[in-house]
Amino acid sequence: MNTDLQNVSKGLSFWTAFLAGRFVAFFCRLFRYPGTSLPGAVALKICPSMLSALAPSYEKIIAVTGTNGKTTTSNLLVHILRFSGISAASNSEGANMLSGVATALIKDCTLGGVARSPVAILEVDEGSVGGIFPSTKPGLVIVTNYFCDQMDRYGSLDHNVTLLRQSLDGLPRTALLLNADDPLVVTAGRGRSAVKHYGIKGKRLDREANGGGNTREGQHCPDCGEPLVYYYYHYGQLGDYYCPQCTFRRPTPDFLVTDVQDEDFLKFSLCFFEEEKEGEHGAVCSYKKVTRLQAPLRGFYNIYNILAASAAAITMGVSNDIIATTIQKYAPATGRMEEFLFQDRSCTLALIKNAAGVNEVMKTILRKEGEKALVIAINDMPADGRDVSWLWDADFSMLDHPSIKKIICSGRRAGDIAVRLKYAGVPLVKLVLEPGCRGSLEILGVQGAEEYFVLASYSTLYNYAKLLKKRRGR
Amino acid sequence: MKLKICHLYPDLLNLHSDQGNMLIFCRRAEWRGIQVEIDYISLPEKVHFTDYDFIFLGGGTDQGPVYKDLLEKGPFLLEAVENGSVLLSICLGYQLLGLSFKKQDGTVLPGVGIFDAYTEEVPERLQGNILLETAPDLQDEIKRLGGAPLDTLIGFENHPGRTYLGKKAQPLGRVIKGHGNNGEDKTEGARYKNALGTYLHGPLLSKNPHLADLLLTKALYRSSGDVHLDPLNDDLEIYAHNVMKKRLR
Ligand SMILES: [Zn+2]
Repeated sequence: MNTDLQNVSKGLSFWTAFLAGRFVAFFCRLFRYPGTSLPGAVALKICPSMLSALAPSYEKIIAVTGTNGKTTTSNLLVHILRFSGISAASNSEGANMLSGVATALIKDCTLGGVARSPVAILEVDEGSVGGIFPSTKPGLVIVTNYFCDQMDRYGSLDHNVTLLRQSLDGLPRTALLLNADDPLVVTAGRGRSAVKHYGIKGKRLDREANGGGNTREGQHCPDCGEPLVYYYYHYGQLGDYYCPQCTFRRPTPDFLVTDVQDEDFLKFSLCFFEEEKEGEHGAVCSYKKVTRLQAPLRGFYNIYNILAASAAAITMGVSNDIIATTIQKYAPATGRMEEFLFQDRSCTLALIKNAAGVNEVMKTILRKEGEKALVIAINDMPADGRDVSWLWDADFSMLDHPSIKKIICSGRRAGDIAVRLKYAGVPLVKLVLEPGCRGSLEILGVQGAEEYFVLASYSTLYNYAKLLKKRRGR
Repeated sequence: MKLKICHLYPDLLNLHSDQGNMLIFCRRAEWRGIQVEIDYISLPEKVHFTDYDFIFLGGGTDQGPVYKDLLEKGPFLLEAVENGSVLLSICLGYQLLGLSFKKQDGTVLPGVGIFDAYTEEVPERLQGNILLETAPDLQDEIKRLGGAPLDTLIGFENHPGRTYLGKKAQPLGRVIKGHGNNGEDKTEGARYKNALGTYLHGPLLSKNPHLADLLLTKALYRSSGDVHLDPLNDDLEIYAHNVMKKRLR
């Protein structure tokens, strides 16, 4: 037992809360209710300091935060650790606010209130870091990226970045693993000692650099406000950048991905930073290639998720071989480009929740040849973000494409997505309005396209997953 | 036929996808065979606002640089409005075009003064879906133009500012559900001549095709004296409008 644990006096309110949480979790299971947040919510009501009492019994807590890729990154890390014999508690179902994190730990602990797993991997909503970080004191924080997301909940992007910085100020000893390619993320690590960066090597382009395009949220220098200049963009504001006015630039990645092949499978090489040498044109960084990775995932953005999870596993001493083998066997979580069989055809389910994310999903879809039919389902429950205007930041004009046969607009905001697609130039004859989940799948099934896709916002995603699982093989 | 359009601070005032209004406005013109020519103007470019039939100003968080620049451009913007240019401003854009803006720390900033209105910022945000009854005179105009048969406006509001109208400013509409200018007096938005300021995101024009066509007609009248717009099929927009209206009622 960890010595810290004995220092925390677990009072009556803790035990009442803990048992109430377990009780609720038990009933959720009994009635097949997901119960990813409710047990924690009940326990926190009774004992708000619940997390600070449970957290110290873990040897290591790793938090993953940022806008996109939290779920996949944490799930991958849990998966890798499990294969290397380290069990990890996690809130793997995307319940990433205070109550979801509390639920995960309550479920993992024994009835004596002691952790069963040595490690906890916590996916933390970027708006909840202020509540979760001080009480769990993670030893490592992974930050994926910052895009505009569900703004009605938090006010703005700057607010989230500031919130992260403030929360980290209270954790001076916490190590950070940051996405070097995102200037907004990089600012979180400045002035700290234990910081490692990861990034993807791209091709330098002169033409497009510093011009055109949308969703470039972090385009200004955080130090002097000057527009950042990019050697290349991967997508959004992610890329290799520098400030022409001061010394701010993309930090040298400690973990670098090179030679990306993005077809049906993702394939790429993972490299370690070795040293920086003076070359003909300034400093040149040399890297040691460690391993070639291959993952059954689609979408360029997933490279970042695999990279972050692998880098974290490496820092925990997991061998390269285990990482390569386990990543190849990874099955994506619900809706992260999860593939189903529907009407004898492949049907891919993707979560969409912000402009940058949906743009990447659409690019991945369009890379497939052959006729496609889609359901796009948008809800506006609190978990989705009640404001759906982000649809207008995404580049839906991509879907005005000959290989797209039909788009069924669904969800509580079916009308909004239909209007958006109309103004994006998708011909009206290709649009169908069907707000119902079941109904939209029925219409999708009779389209006779070669491949089907369902793009759904969070609160309706699981309904689609459930229905698609039922029909599997039919 | 041709419209000259100015999108002001597209890089700095781009919160809540308000630039979608530009896309909607331009598409609705193009679908009727009206050419559009857009200039993207940011700081510190010099502009002849009177050249433009339609000027758009979105919402954002960055107040410093925009504010300073807008004060310099202000008199020319006002001149264009006096000359009949159509102006649509959303959220922060709307607030800065009023008479004054009082920040949370108490400092008062003078505004451009197009709208007879002042704004005070407080910590609590007013947010959520909002339903307005369109101002009666606008309703009449829309009817006369044969626009989509809607007498309400739908949007999403999210603002810490409380705006209060003076006598010379007309509201865009009366709040049926939601908060509006200040959460107290049931007014939403402000109008002066062909200038319109509002807190409605969504973007505003996406579920309000009748308002889009009203602005378009006014801009067209300024450019060519023409007031006739061919009707469009607005079934999807009206559907989206009515679904939300039903939910809010
Ligand atoms: Zn700089």
